[in-house]
Amino acid sequence: MTIATHAASAPGEPAAGAASSRSGGSGAAVGREGGRAQGVDARDASRVARPPLWLVVLASLAALAASIPLVYLVVRGGESGLDRIVETLSRGRVLEYAANSLGLAAATTATALVLGTAVAFTLSRLRVPFPRLWLLASALPLAVPSFLAGYGWLVLAPGIDGFVPSWLLLSAVTMPYVALPVAAALRGASGDLEGVARTLGRGPFPAFLVATWPQVRPAAIAGGLLVALYALSDFGLVAMMRFPTLTWGINAAYSASFDRAQAAILALLLVVLALLVVLGERTARGRVPRAAARAVAPRTIGRGMLLSLLPVVAAAPVVGVAIPLLGLATRLVQAETLRELDVPRLLAAVGSTVGVALAAAALAVVLALPIAALAARFRGRLVSAIESVGFLGHALPGIVVGLSLVFFSLAVLPALYQSVVVLVFAYAVLFMPKAIGTMRSGLADVPVSLVAVARTLGDSPLRAWWRVTVPLALPSVGIGALLVAIATMKELPATLLLRPTGIQTLATELWNRTVVFEFGAAAPYAAVLVLIAAVPAMVLSGIRSTAKEEL
Amino acid sequence: MSDLVVSGASVIHGSTLAVDDVSMTIRSGELVAVLGPSGCGKTSLLLAIAGLLPVREGSIAIGSRELSRPGRVVPPEKRGIGWVPQEASLFPHLSVAENIGFAVPRGRGRAARIRELAELVGLGALTNRAPNQLSGGQAQRVALARALAPRPEVLLLDEPFAALDTQLRTGLRREVAELLRAQGTTSILVTHDQEEALTLADRVAVLRDGHLEQFGTPEEIYQQPASDWVARFVGDVVELDGAWRGGRVTCALGAVEAAAVGFTPADGDTVRLMLRPEWIVPRPDLLAHAAAGADARVASISYAGHDAMLSCDLTAGLTVRMRMAAVDLPAVGEDLRLAVQRPGLAYPVPA
Repeated sequence: MTIATHAASAPGEPAAGAASSRSGGSGAAVGREGGRAQGVDARDASRVARPPLWLVVLASLAALAASIPLVYLVVRGGESGLDRIVETLSRGRVLEYAANSLGLAAATTATALVLGTAVAFTLSRLRVPFPRLWLLASALPLAVPSFLAGYGWLVLAPGIDGFVPSWLLLSAVTMPYVALPVAAALRGASGDLEGVARTLGRGPFPAFLVATWPQVRPAAIAGGLLVALYALSDFGLVAMMRFPTLTWGINAAYSASFDRAQAAILALLLVVLALLVVLGERTARGRVPRAAARAVAPRTIGRGMLLSLLPVVAAAPVVGVAIPLLGLATRLVQAETLRELDVPRLLAAVGSTVGVALAAAALAVVLALPIAALAARFRGRLVSAIESVGFLGHALPGIVVGLSLVFFSLAVLPALYQSVVVLVFAYAVLFMPKAIGTMRSGLADVPVSLVAVARTLGDSPLRAWWRVTVPLALPSVGIGALLVAIATMKELPATLLLRPTGIQTLATELWNRTVVFEFGAAAPYAAVLVLIAAVPAMVLSGIRSTAKEEL
Repeated sequence: MSDLVVSGASVIHGSTLAVDDVSMTIRSGELVAVLGPSGCGKTSLLLAIAGLLPVREGSIAIGSRELSRPGRVVPPEKRGIGWVPQEASLFPHLSVAENIGFAVPRGRGRAARIRELAELVGLGALTNRAPNQLSGGQAQRVALARALAPRPEVLLLDEPFAALDTQLRTGLRREVAELLRAQGTTSILVTHDQEEALTLADRVAVLRDGHLEQFGTPEEIYQQPASDWVARFVGDVVELDGAWRGGRVTCALGAVEAAAVGFTPADGDTVRLMLRPEWIVPRPDLLAHAAAGADARVASISYAGHDAMLSCDLTAGLTVRMRMAAVDLPAVGEDLRLAVQRPGLAYPVPA
């Protein structure tokens, strides 16, 4: 709760019109709505009811804490004065950074959208051998952090750099953000409509466009948003590929010259771009009322067609997972690598990685719980404002949160500067949306009528909450915490800026060695990172209730 | 045991006035059906009685114990009112036995009470099952046992049979009604199914747009509907317009004896005569003391096994429908002499 007190002392008001992305967790909730008159009745009743004051206060404090990085960045950037901002933004290098960031984000998003939709369609509408295995393989790239993929490729091909490898690798790693929700939407989309369109004289592709595409479009666009945000905020991969984007520029301005004003202005620019992407997605997504869905039998296709689709389906898993792991493995088994292995140092990195990840998971769950509880049961402007602020971390690049918290701790809480508290707080803000999303749908999925039944059977509100809501929602809390822990272990840019002197995580060790081309020394860290972050992520993606896009 | 008294209750559900000034007294041990089309406010009334929704006006009380009035609601857990929701709503993380025992205090006698209740609803062998291993009918039985466990003064059942298939529904609802009567529990059953309401309940409350249209025995509701809407809602009707004169309506069926409901027509006024199809019979022998009669020809027959609905063209014009037992049915085209075997109901002609 220390965080909440800090939040109260933070200057400025929480940002209005904050970003909230509901791409992941909302699917389950939508499926539960409707169809059961009683459940809906009771739920409506509780939605009209006012949320209890203590819950609103707790949720507001959590949201306030989540808004610190953005608010403080605006404050800090504003101190530079308009002249300085205009002057900085009109520098040739800055324009180049911005153009590179936007170009990379646009190219990656377009590629991931096309590839992801093609993969989703192939896997859910065509009869392919081992469909479940392919679906799992298509989710795998999510488990691999971009800088790890970059490392694996650099081991095999040390010469690659610039736009093209950045674009291709980012597209491969982010493709699942589109493929998974679109595949889910295709499974839920009514195939009858397409049949009706065919009987009304449309060909196969026009029928798909008119009947099925509108049903999957929101999922595709929401996935595209995640891809664009990922590409905009990626630091590790573009830095390894020496492709100067805004994140790279922020880091350079901060670390090389300690020119903090310029770093702040660049960070503001990056945030504005990210928020514009979020706003654009909101206007483009639209909503489609779901038609009653009936499963469509996958269509059988010829062997030649199957073979020609193989590269489409295999592209992302091969480029984003198989080749990087191959590079890592070849380096790992070399005698030199094993000889140089510094076991105590490796164990220390594992310890600090797991330690901060667990602390971040705990803090994120504590901050997310009141917001999730509020959003699961109540509606209204205040509720959605609080929820949106809680989702800010979705739109904020890690490097921006890191930089802002450096400023914030130096200016407001110097005692905590470069302490593990600030680092854990940064993770919590960044990954809170994952916890909010999972826990909100977990709590909302507990039917209101069950709680009402418990009340008529003699339970007080608190007792009913403890005997009914808690046991039913507990798995979602656990999954939310695990998602945060995994994301924390894979985080790089904020960790680089905020880690206390002397503390190294697996990600920073891997990074420090890779940028000086010590691929062998980096290999053990990469391998352990795969083991403790990527593998749990893969396991988690097999759990049905997890929104895989959150990984 | 005391009566449940709802007086002048109005309930807001969402942003609409779902229950509007409803008053009814449900006697101890009585089984009352609240009948109405969907959206008529019957579920809101139930939620208000359970204490899950507040009343905006009026009050709800059991005997002298006031449960709800504006600004004050005794919480559901302190009312002693059980609730069986529409879709069983069993706790998915608890077994059948734990569901039934949810409100049974820990201690000696708990296991015995759970067993007793499980047997009462005929599920003695299934207590270790998880809710998702039960059929719809079994789940409803568990929900019923769970609600009966704390011995509630009043039991509320919200369309408990709606999700079941027809055959199961008929059997289960008779069984449940017998069980409730045997327990002597005051019960309120919400339903949109006329047959269910009429066959099960001691008294039926007909609700429309939040208003209580009529509250009476099934016979009263069916044979003396308080309004033409209730008449149409609870069963088939034959409607004929005619001139009112001294207790008779002159129409295509002759001068039919009728009672004016809810208004006093003057001689010569046009009124709407309503008859139940089974009140019209092909029995000329009754004509001497019947309400009226007419000649007709069978136009079509809709056969339903136990009975049949006949459409008959009256010689005087118009077509009426009549229901008769499906033995010795006339053929299509056959001429009949029809009698109206009891007085009809006269309502104002809608403007």
